[in-house]
Amino acid sequence: MRRHSRRIFNVCYRFVGNRTEAEDISQEVFLRVYRTLGSYRSAHGGFATWMTSVTRNLLIDHYRRTKRDRQTDSLDDAMPVVENKESAARRPDQQALLNELSGQVQSALTRLSPELREAVVLRDLQQLDYAEIQQVLEVPEGTVKSRINRGRIELAKILQQMGVRPS
Amino acid sequence: MTWTCDQIEAQLSDYLEGLLQAPERAAFEAHANTCSECAPLLAEVRSLMTELHSMEQVEVPPQLVYSILNKTLGPRETVSGWQAFRKFLAGFATPKFTYGVASVMATLIIVLSASGISLRKPKVADLHPVNVYRNIDRRFHLAKAGTVKYFSDLRVVYEIQSRLRQDQNELQVAPEENAPKTPPEKQNDDHTRVQPKQQNRANELAHQVEMLAAEGPMVFERSFR
Repeated sequence: MRRHSRRIFNVCYRFVGNRTEAEDISQEVFLRVYRTLGSYRSAHGGFATWMTSVTRNLLIDHYRRTKRDRQTDSLDDAMPVVENKESAARRPDQQALLNELSGQVQSALTRLSPELREAVVLRDLQQLDYAEIQQVLEVPEGTVKSRINRGRIELAKILQQMGVRPS
Repeated sequence: MTWTCDQIEAQLSDYLEGLLQAPERAAFEAHANTCSECAPLLAEVRSLMTELHSMEQVEVPPQLVYSILNKTLGPRETVSGWQAFRKFLAGFATPKFTYGVASVMATLIIVLSASGISLRKPKVADLHPVNVYRNIDRRFHLAKAGTVKYFSDLRVVYEIQSRLRQDQNELQVAPEENAPKTPPEKQNDDHTRVQPKQQNRANELAHQVEMLAAEGPMVFERSFR
């Protein structure tokens, strides 16, 4: 369960860019999974893929609910994110630079439209293959590829507008 | 055929992931490396992907797992004091524990009896290695002797039984031999050669039986008087 909670939390966090919201949504995911375990059919791909599907659906629901009262730049975005323990091995200035960069990338991510955002998060941050993403998003493979492509391009353009040059 | 900027944008990901065939790749590079808009875009997307792939997983807040468990399985009951102690004791009533205790007791009993320590009058001397060795040695030899005796008894019984069976066979054989037969000559010789000893014994037994039969009535009459 810890393995799944880590993955689910990361998907939620990368999508919403906010720790508190990511926690709430992660809890919702597990609750939903626990309640609907009976309806899980293994023919629909692996268990992990099913969990990702549930996560994605809840993220979209959350996005639609909060779209009206969302602030583009929330306080949480500016706060330093607690990264992996491995980051402790790096030099502090290197780490600070990386944190800043990843914080900016995170911020840019939340500015993408949800369809593009979820595609990029699943592909580039969760390293899912096209077939899995197709199952999670329930769209044809061509659509998956084009969303990922457009998402990356848009993200690069947003970062450029923010004045960030990824190294 | 030279590609347009739109085409470059559309194929950007496929190019970066190495999915383009050689001719397409060549056409892509021919445009992208020279176009003033496509070249920077390609560079930015490439470095962005590197950045995304190296972004580490964020740490899960520690209370998340517990709050998930609380919401799904329900909060854990916390007991204290007497209740905790009783629950601890209840752990001893499990079958696993009972079997464990029983097997340990059985082992102890076997070891104690083998080592010859008397349970009624235990002596410290019994624990001395020399005594322990002697006791074990004695018991081993006793057990061995008992087993040997058992098997040799079995053998004796078996031999007696086989002798009796033999004699019974001979008794049956003897009447058959005395009855008139016309066996071929060859077989006759074999018979006389193979069975002289048995024939003699059978004759002897038959003679004894006849004598008993003859004396029988006289004994019978005598007992009446």
